[in-house]
Amino acid sequence: MAKQRSILVVDDDAEMRALLLDVLRNEGYDVVEARDGTEAVLALRTRAFDLILMDKNMPGPSGLDLLPGFRRVCPASQIILMTAFGDVPSYMEAVEKGAAEYLFKPFRMEELRAAIAKALHLDAQSRP
Amino acid sequence: MRGQWMRAIGDRLRHNLTTRLILLSALALMVITGINDYTRLVSEREHLIMQTREDERIFAETLALAARYNLRRGRTTEELEGLLEEIVARPGLVAVTIYDPDAGIVAHTLAPGSEPAAPDELVRRSLHQREAVSAMADRPSGRILRYVQPFRWPGGRTGAIEVQQTLGAMERQFRRAVRTTIVSRLLVLALFVLSIVILTRWSIARPIRALVAAARAIGRGDLGQRIPVPRQDEIGELAVEFNRMAENLQTANAELVRQAEERLRLEQEVQQAQKLATVGMLAAEVAHEIGTPLNVISGRAEVLDRIVPRDHPERRNLDVILGQTERIKGIIRALLDYTRPRRPALRPEPILPIVGRVASLLMERSRRRGVRLHLELPIGLPSVMGDPEHLQQVFLNLILNAMDVTEKGGTVRITAGPDPALPSEGRAGILRGKADGPTLAVHVIDTGAGLTAEELSRVFEPFFSTKTTGKGTGLGLGISEEIVRAHRGEIEMLSVPGKGTEVIVRIPLADGASAPTGPEAAEHGR
Repeated sequence: MAKQRSILVVDDDAEMRALLLDVLRNEGYDVVEARDGTEAVLALRTRAFDLILMDKNMPGPSGLDLLPGFRRVCPASQIILMTAFGDVPSYMEAVEKGAAEYLFKPFRMEELRAAIAKALHLDAQSRP
Repeated sequence: MRGQWMRAIGDRLRHNLTTRLILLSALALMVITGINDYTRLVSEREHLIMQTREDERIFAETLALAARYNLRRGRTTEELEGLLEEIVARPGLVAVTIYDPDAGIVAHTLAPGSEPAAPDELVRRSLHQREAVSAMADRPSGRILRYVQPFRWPGGRTGAIEVQQTLGAMERQFRRAVRTTIVSRLLVLALFVLSIVILTRWSIARPIRALVAAARAIGRGDLGQRIPVPRQDEIGELAVEFNRMAENLQTANAELVRQAEERLRLEQEVQQAQKLATVGMLAAEVAHEIGTPLNVISGRAEVLDRIVPRDHPERRNLDVILGQTERIKGIIRALLDYTRPRRPALRPEPILPIVGRVASLLMERSRRRGVRLHLELPIGLPSVMGDPEHLQQVFLNLILNAMDVTEKGGTVRITAGPDPALPSEGRAGILRGKADGPTLAVHVIDTGAGLTAEELSRVFEPFFSTKTTGKGTGLGLGISEEIVRAHRGEIEMLSVPGKGTEVIVRIPLADGASAPTGPEAAEHGR
């Protein structure tokens, strides 16, 4: 791995964050966690991330609310949105607002890995 | 017994129009003919009496002449009586008496069993006034008519001859006339009543009874009841009006029933929709709340899954956890599948803007992915019966899937036309739904790896995904199939391993739209 890729995990559920941290760190990613939109914004001020893995449903602004702003502030970051199973309208909205991928909870870790790999792959291709 | 009978008649009079009509008309007929007959009989009787009197007058005058002649000849009383004896044989004659000027009986003769006449006031008056007098008199044998005729007695004075005649013959004749009249009247009356009975039965009572029966049937709710109308009269008119009323009632009733059913159906639909909405909200809530903890459990189990060797003694515990979390996911999916798809609002819509919007949405993504996206829909495609939002979901899913499976440098094409683009050689396919009538077919064709026949057979299973093999996101074709089915269309997936996959969506045309002609492809995008 030439360069360690960085991921910001935004989820209000501590156990979910812990799981994602464990799995992704195990994959070799540089992972930072945030428990809501505010913490995510603070984290994004300090540094850039290759990928933001964000829950749709959170206290305060939702993942969908944050999505356009994040796209503007850090256009280089790919964003994967997670939401409850069967939330089709959010899926449509997320695609329109520029989410790279979309995951329905509960998803498999394999699905997570595949989605991240594809999102970062997209990013790599768009880069000169 | 008699009271009962009277009451029965009274009841009939009160309740039976026919009886009342017959009785009244018979009464009227009886009164009219009765008055007529009475006056006719009275005048006939007078006429008969007059005739008898006239007969008697002529007879008396003739006798008076004969008596005068014989008296002038000086005939004796015996001779006169002999003469009278011959005359008295005349039928109906009771007695003939000749009086001298002093009212003494000169001669008289009697019919057998008659009483002798005696000079009385009537005879004296005739002698005195010298004119004919007549009168009725009652005798024990019956009523008689007396006629006294004065005549010139020999010697210049006045004598008289009295003729008494019984009125028996006349009375008999009169009684016969009365009898005949009564019998003929009764006969006429009977005929009259009979004809009225028949007439009312046929032309009033029967049709009215039919009307009553039909009205009762309608009252019981049998609104299909009609009366045959074979006549043009007032009753026929009544029947026509009655039928019209029944018709209107039936129409109104049918309309009421239809409205009630419509209302009931709407209420049920609303209830069902509310129920589904409630269950749907609940299911979404449950799915949302359970999603994260379930994800934590299955995620942790998957972490262990990668670490714990297959022959580890605790392996079974891990497998159970993995299996059971899958099971919970299945339950939530089933719950959501039951409630999710709202009914599409079908209306005539052109397909180009729908697919075009999706394509433009994905243009940037395709550029980054290095996949060409060709929109090759001809201008002037017929409109389909569709819900644009739903159809957008379908094409978004299909194009996303196609892009996901296409390698860099590949192409995703969107075309229209009746025939598949993939060659038939080595092609496998699966069709879901059944389109009725003419459709517009939109094809989404990728140049990906294609699917095996086995994969194709499972591709429409809810939330089946080839994602586990490392490719593809999307919602699965299950939702797309549901939406296409809700449009009464069909969805077909064809694939040639190594060449690519083609998904054909066929949506019924809007009414009045004709099937597309000619493959004049207008190319959009790159």
